[in-house]
Amino acid sequence: MKEKAQSRAWAFIAPSVILILVFVFYPMIQAFVTSFQTGIGANLKFHGIANYQRLLTDGTFKKALWNTFIFLIVQVPIMIILALIISSMLNDKNLKCKGLFRTAIFLPCVTSLVSYSIIFKSLFATDGFINALLMKLNLISSPITWITDPFWAKVLIIIAITWRWTGYNMVFYLAGLQGIDESIYEAADLDGVNAFQKFRYIVLPLLKPIILFTTINSTIGTLQLFDEPMNITNGGPANATITISMYIYNLLFKYQPNFGYAAAVSYVIVVLIVILSMIQLKVGDDKNEK
Amino acid sequence: MRKKLLSLVLATTMMFSLVACGTEKEPQNNGTTNDSEKENTNNSKDSDTITIWAWDESFNIPAANAAAEVYKKEHADVTVNVVTMAQDDIVAKLNTALSSGTYNGLPDIVLIEDYRIQGYLTAYPDEFADLSSIVSASDFAAYKTGVNQVDGKIYGVPFDSGVAALFYRKDIIEEAGYQEKDMQDLTWEKYIEIGKAVKEKCNVDWLTLDPSDLGQIRMMMQSAGAWYTDADGNVNIKDNEALAAAIKVYKDLMDAGFVKQVSDWNQFVGSFNNGDVASVFTGCWIAPSVKNAEDQSGKWAVASFPRMSNVSNSVNASSIGGAGWYVLKNVGHEKTAVDFLGKTFGSNADLMHQLGDEISLIPTLNAASDYSKKDDYFGGQDVAADLIGWTAKVPTVNYGQNTYAIEDIMTEALQEILNGADIKKTLASYHETIKAAIAQ
Amino acid sequence: MRSKIARFFMYVFLTIVSFVSVFPLLWMIIASTNKSVDVTKGTLLPGTYFMENLRAVLNSNLGYVNSFKNSFIIAVVTTILAMLVSSAAGYAFGVYKSKFKNITFTIILLSMMVPFAALMVPLFRLFSKFNSIPVLNLVALNTSGSVVIIAIATAFLIFFFRQNTATFPKDLIEASRLDGLSEYGIFFRIYMPSMKSTYAAAIVVTFMSSWNNYLWPLIALQSEEKRTLPLIISAMGSSYTPDYGMMMTAIVISTIPTALIFFLMQKQFVAGMTGSVKG
Repeated sequence: MKEKAQSRAWAFIAPSVILILVFVFYPMIQAFVTSFQTGIGANLKFHGIANYQRLLTDGTFKKALWNTFIFLIVQVPIMIILALIISSMLNDKNLKCKGLFRTAIFLPCVTSLVSYSIIFKSLFATDGFINALLMKLNLISSPITWITDPFWAKVLIIIAITWRWTGYNMVFYLAGLQGIDESIYEAADLDGVNAFQKFRYIVLPLLKPIILFTTINSTIGTLQLFDEPMNITNGGPANATITISMYIYNLLFKYQPNFGYAAAVSYVIVVLIVILSMIQLKVGDDKNEK
Repeated sequence: MRKKLLSLVLATTMMFSLVACGTEKEPQNNGTTNDSEKENTNNSKDSDTITIWAWDESFNIPAANAAAEVYKKEHADVTVNVVTMAQDDIVAKLNTALSSGTYNGLPDIVLIEDYRIQGYLTAYPDEFADLSSIVSASDFAAYKTGVNQVDGKIYGVPFDSGVAALFYRKDIIEEAGYQEKDMQDLTWEKYIEIGKAVKEKCNVDWLTLDPSDLGQIRMMMQSAGAWYTDADGNVNIKDNEALAAAIKVYKDLMDAGFVKQVSDWNQFVGSFNNGDVASVFTGCWIAPSVKNAEDQSGKWAVASFPRMSNVSNSVNASSIGGAGWYVLKNVGHEKTAVDFLGKTFGSNADLMHQLGDEISLIPTLNAASDYSKKDDYFGGQDVAADLIGWTAKVPTVNYGQNTYAIEDIMTEALQEILNGADIKKTLASYHETIKAAIAQ
Repeated sequence: MRSKIARFFMYVFLTIVSFVSVFPLLWMIIASTNKSVDVTKGTLLPGTYFMENLRAVLNSNLGYVNSFKNSFIIAVVTTILAMLVSSAAGYAFGVYKSKFKNITFTIILLSMMVPFAALMVPLFRLFSKFNSIPVLNLVALNTSGSVVIIAIATAFLIFFFRQNTATFPKDLIEASRLDGLSEYGIFFRIYMPSMKSTYAAAIVVTFMSSWNNYLWPLIALQSEEKRTLPLIISAMGSSYTPDYGMMMTAIVISTIPTALIFFLMQKQFVAGMTGSVKG
C-alpha cells in the first residue's frame, strides 16, 4: 500500500518537475555558463572568473546590494506583521462588511504600477499632500524631500512596497486561517483569553507553515525588487534606491548589453537567496515536521 | 485516469523537448534561420511587407504612417506595417533577438534614439544595413550624422530634431520688467538674473529640475561641443571644462531659490501646464505638451538655448533626444526597407513639410529647412523656422556607447557637488570610477 | 466595554487601511474621466471625458480589445493548468514525504531564486528552436502557448500548496484508502474540495501574475495581434506627449478582471468552512 502510494506520488510530481527542469533549470545553467563570458552584445568570449572579480570593485553593484539588503530587513518584517494583523482581524466572524474590507485591502496589488507610481510621486512630492498633512499635524516643521533625499527615498520605497504587497500576503493568511477550527476560538473565548493571546497562542502556531511560505516568498520578491525603484525613484537619488534586479536590467538593456556580467550579478542574488531561504526553512520547518 | 493521461502527455512532451535541445542544438538553430530567410525572400518577389517599430503614438507613429502613404503611391505592392512599442520594449526585444541570432518577428526598420545607436552598432556590427547609398552627411543637420556613423559609413537616416530651446512665459517676464528682446541669445548668468526677478516680483518659480535626470547638464555640455566621452570614446570627465561649467550652472540654478523640483514626466508637464513655472528649457518636442494648456495660449514664446559664457566655444544651440531610422539587414527585406527610407525620410522634403504641419516635426533634412510655420499659441512667432535655424548650429558630438551607463554614476557625483563638494576634485575622482565601470 | 472600544478601533483601523489602499485606484478612476491636461494638472474632481477616453482607447490602432482577449485567454488557461499541475505536486510533496522528495522539493525551490531577467535570453534561445518541432510548436515563440507553458508549474505554487497541505488531516487520507479510493481519487475527491480556500487564494494570485506578466510576453510574443494588455499599455505611455486620460482609462478597464476574480473568490475565505467539510 505505502509503496504504491509512493510511486503514485511521483506521478503527481513529474509534470511539474519536468516543466521546471526544462523552462527554469536549463536556462539557469545556460546563464551560469554565460556568467563566465565577457563582451558586449553577441560578441561573447570565455574569460574565466573575470566577471566575478569585477563585482568586487563595482561601486554601483555594492550600492545595489546594500540597498536591497536594507529593503529586505526593514520591509519584510513590517509587511508580514501588518498582513497577519489585518488578516486575523478580517477573520473575525462578527466583523461586518468583511468582503468590502478584504477587497479594498487586496486592491493595491492589482492597481497598475504606472498609475500608482504617478500618484505616489505626487502625494510624496515636496509640496505634496503627505508633507502638507504631516506639517498640519505638527509632526514635522519643514517638508521632507521624499524623492530627492537618499534616506527618505528608501523610506518611500519601503512604504510603497508595503502598500502594494500587504493585501497580497493577507490573501495567503486568510486562506490559511480557514484551516483553524472555529471551536478552538470558542474554547478560548470561554476561557477569557484576550485578542492578543489568541493571536499569539492560536493563530501564529497554526499559521506557521504559511508564514514561512510568505516570508521566503517576500524575501525572494524583495531581493528581486525592480518595479518600485524603477518607476517611483528610478533608482535615485544618486543610486540611493537602485536594487540588484534594476542593475541587472540596466546592464542588459539600458547600457551596452553585457550578458555575461549581468548573469554574474544574477548569480550573486541566487546565492544570497539560497542562503537566506535555507536559514528560514531550517528555522521554520523544524517544528511542523511530524 | 484523466489525470494520468494528462501527466503522461506532458511528461512525454517535455522529455522530447529535452532530447531535442540536447542533440540538435546548433544545427537546429541555423536550420530555422535559413528557412525563415528563404521564406522571406520568396515573399519579396511578388508582394513585400516591411515592418517598422517605433514609439510615440502622437509623433513617430503618425510620421511612419505618413511615410508609408507616400511610399505606397509609387509602390502599391509593398505593405508597410507600423507597430507601436515603448522605446524600452524595443530595446529589450532587439537585444534579446539579436544576441540570439533569431530574426523571426524582428522589424525591417527600427527607430533608435541618438544616444543609443553607437552602442547598437558596436554590439551588433553585422546586423545594420549600410545606408551610405541613400544618405550623405551633407543632406542633414550636421550634428545628426555625427552619431550614426562607424568608420565613415552611415547606418541611419536622421529623423527628428531634438534641438533645445528656451520656452518662456512672455506675460510673466514682462511683469518682471523684461522684454522679449532680453531673452534672445541669453547667457546662463542673464537667465538666472531674470529668474530671480521673476521669483521676486511675480512669486512664480522659474524652472523645474529633476536631480536624477542629467538631461539639462547634457544639453549645456553639448552646447560647447563636449560629452562624457571624447571623439575616440575615452572617458572625458576629469578635465572636461564644459562639464564642470555645466555642473556649476546647474548648482547655481539649484541654489537660486526659484526651482520647482519634480521627479517625473507627469509632474514636469503639470508644472508648466499649471502655470507653476515661467520657463522650460528642453528639446523642441516639448511644444505639443506646452500647447496642451489652452488657457495659456498667446502667453508663451520661444528663445534659443542659453550659452555658457565662461566656456569659449559654447553656443546658443544644443540638442536633447531625437532619433533616426535604421534597417536590420538580416530580417529579409533589406532592399525594400532601404528603398523605403531613401524615398521617404531620406530625401522627401514634402513629406517633412507635411509632418511639420501634422505633428510639428522639426526636420533635420536640409532640403526641408525652408519650412516655416507661424504659431498663434506662441504669439504668432515663426517657431518652426527659429528651431530649424538653431538645429543647424547644434555642435556635433559623438555620444559614444556609454552615455546612460556614465550618467547613472554621474548622478552620484552631482549629488555630492550639490551637497557642497568641490567640482574639480569630485569629477577627478569619478573619472576613475567611471572608467572602471564601462571597461568591458 | 473594553471589547467594544477595541472593536471600534478595529473598524477605524480597517477603514483607514482600506481608504489608503483604495485611494490610488480611485484617483485612477477619476483620471479616466478627465482630459490628459487635467490629469497632469492633478485634478481630483471627476470629469466628463470618460466616453471620449474610452473611444480613444477602443479606436487606437494598438488593438486594445484584441489584446484584452489575448490576456484573458492566457490568464484563464494558465490558471486552470497551474491549479492542476502545481497543486498536484504541492500535495504530493506535503503528503508523501520521503528524503528524496524533500531534496527534489528543495531543488525546485531553487528555481524561484534566479531573477527572471537573467533567464530571458537563454529561454528565448530555447524557445526559438521549437518552431519546427511537432507538438512543441504549440508553445513556440509568438504563440500564446509560449506564455502559458512557463507559468504552469511554478515553485511558488508548489510551495504554497505544500505548506497548506500541512493543515490537511492525514487520517482522512488513511480512511479514504481503507474505503478503497485510489491515490488519484483521494486527491481529486477529498483534497481538492476540502482545500477550497487554498485554491481560491492560488487562483487569485496565479490569475493576477499571469494578467500582469510583462517581461516574458514582451520577448516571446512577436506579432502585433498576439500582444497582451501590459505590452499595449506600455506602448501607450511611451510618448513625449502621453495621453494620460486615455491611458488611465485603458488601465482602469484592465484592472477589472483581477479585481472581479478576487471579489468572487474571497467568498471562499469563510471561517470554519473547511472544518465543516472535514466533519
